Amino acid sequence: METVNKLGRILMVEDDSKDVELTLEALKDYNLANEVVVTHDGEQALDYIYCRGEYKLRSGENPAVILLDLKLPKVDGMEVLKQIKSDAKLKMIPVVVLTSSREERDMVSSYQLGVNAYVVKPVDFHEFVNAIKELGAFWAVINEPPPGSARK
Amino acid sequence: MINPVRAFDGANVLKGKSALSTPLSPIQCYGIAVLSVLGALAAGLLLERFELRNISPFLLAITVAAWYGGIRSALLALVASFISFHFFFVEPLHSLRFTGSDLPYFIFFAVLALLVSWFKAAQQNVEGELREANERLEMAERIKQQASLLNLTHDSIFVRNMDFVITYWNQGAQELYGWPAEDAIGKDSKQLLHTVFSTPLDDINTELLRSGRWEGELRRTTANSIQIVVAARWSLQRNDRGEPAAILETSNNITEHKRREQEIQALNQELAKRSSELEAMNKELEAFAYTVSHDLRAPLRHISGYSELLQKTAASILADQTSRRYMTIILESVKRMGSLIDDLLSFSRIGRAETRKSLVNLTQLVKEAVNEIRQQAEGRDVVWKISTLPEFYGDRSMLRLVLINLLSNAVKFTRPRAQPEIEIGCVNGSRGEMAVFVRDNGIGFDMKYVNKLFGVFQRLHSADSFEGTGIGLATVQRIIHRHGGKVWAEGAVDKGATFYFQLSGHKENYGNS
Repeated sequence: METVNKLGRILMVEDDSKDVELTLEALKDYNLANEVVVTHDGEQALDYIYCRGEYKLRSGENPAVILLDLKLPKVDGMEVLKQIKSDAKLKMIPVVVLTSSREERDMVSSYQLGVNAYVVKPVDFHEFVNAIKELGAFWAVINEPPPGSARK
Repeated sequence: MINPVRAFDGANVLKGKSALSTPLSPIQCYGIAVLSVLGALAAGLLLERFELRNISPFLLAITVAAWYGGIRSALLALVASFISFHFFFVEPLHSLRFTGSDLPYFIFFAVLALLVSWFKAAQQNVEGELREANERLEMAERIKQQASLLNLTHDSIFVRNMDFVITYWNQGAQELYGWPAEDAIGKDSKQLLHTVFSTPLDDINTELLRSGRWEGELRRTTANSIQIVVAARWSLQRNDRGEPAAILETSNNITEHKRREQEIQALNQELAKRSSELEAMNKELEAFAYTVSHDLRAPLRHISGYSELLQKTAASILADQTSRRYMTIILESVKRMGSLIDDLLSFSRIGRAETRKSLVNLTQLVKEAVNEIRQQAEGRDVVWKISTLPEFYGDRSMLRLVLINLLSNAVKFTRPRAQPEIEIGCVNGSRGEMAVFVRDNGIGFDMKYVNKLFGVFQRLHSADSFEGTGIGLATVQRIIHRHGGKVWAEGAVDKGATFYFQLSGHKENYGNS
């Protein structure tokens, strides 16, 4: 479990610890790995975003980007996305769906809910690393996040 | 068609007949009396000229008046005759002073008038009775004739009164219910036939009184205790005073019809159940595909990822050629597994997706597909022969996938040829339907294995010589089957291959059907 008060620019919502490890590995190259806050299910992610539960004491800044898996324990990714995008205070946070699912209905629902990007995790590690690097670089470094976001 | 109700309307028939002999009007009655008395007076005065004073003309006048004019005429003739006779022929003449000696004359006249009237009445009575008897006979004969006509119909017809007592029962009723007329007539129809009404009897009666008719289904039991369903039509007959008098029922047996109806209903329910089961199965399949898509990829990603990481951390140990080869094989296998999963998923998607049919110009579609495939054949000088193709009703994007798969196969398997040739055309297939073919001069195949061609992940060549997962032709077959068509192949080793497909949605056929 990450330290409760840790502040990061990237919120990663991923239940698979191996995927977490591989993602962090990929982000190391851009020195972004220690900017990542990892939550392991939808409920924890929402707790983080709303500063409640175990994240009650964190400072109220929003992450610069949320990397969201769809298949999650407790509250699934689609529900998390729905809550974020239907909350006036949160809907500006860029959300990138990062999933294994190439199913059309998942893409359609995500875009209908207002996702900012939809990325299918490549099976090949090189492609995976490249995809994650580019995502991290773009959303956490190149992109100017909305006001109220965590900054370096 | 005779109206059965009319046929039994005996009372009306009788009334119509008797109306023919109408009695004389009062004026006619009194006219007869006055004329006959005037005639008698004239005759009496004439006879007196010859010194013959006679009473007989007046007796004749009374007789005539009584016979032809009835009792009223007789009375008038009696009074007029008595007064005339007394005035003209009894001393003192031309006076109306009556004395006791006139009484015998009056009594004589009166007795005569009475006698004649009585005779006349008796005669009329006898005549009337005779006529009535005759009419009754005639009517009975008519009814008998009409009843025998009703016996000709196969419909069951019976008449019952308002207390359900059967008064007429035709041959059809006997055939349907098994009771002969002599057993049925006089019985309560409800009890005899164990009638079960589908609507309350009160409602039926209300309808009958309102419109004079009722139609509906009744459950009954025949003489042989067989339960039947009949479609019954009731007609209400009213008597002279307009009161409901009888009901005529025609009915026919619809038991078999009802049974079939129920069978169809049961089949429909079964069908609905099956289709909802199928829907549930489809949902399950979708969930399965989703799981495959999501959960099978993750371990692959991990194998690939950790192998790479291992390569980094153990670079010095894995530096030799063998280790590097092993690593390459692991990573290639992962890649291959990934594309197998992707192919399987898109294959299952074809089975699940709805087809959106429209008129598709195949010639145009082939051109598009060829343009796309050309990039695959880059650097090779493929000769394309494209004929004009028919138009089909089908799902455009699916048919496009069919062509892409067939053309890319053709390109792939002509790779060893110096001068590859690919021909797309159409021929008249079996039953006169157009079949589209894709022919190449590639490496071909042994007809021995023709049945394996269209199987999922079935391949006739090693992955080393020709890449691919073996899903292409299975996809083609699934799409063509979803269009109600068929697909087949001909070929020989080293002599090229021809793939045919036929669609049931051929434009001409579509227009004719």
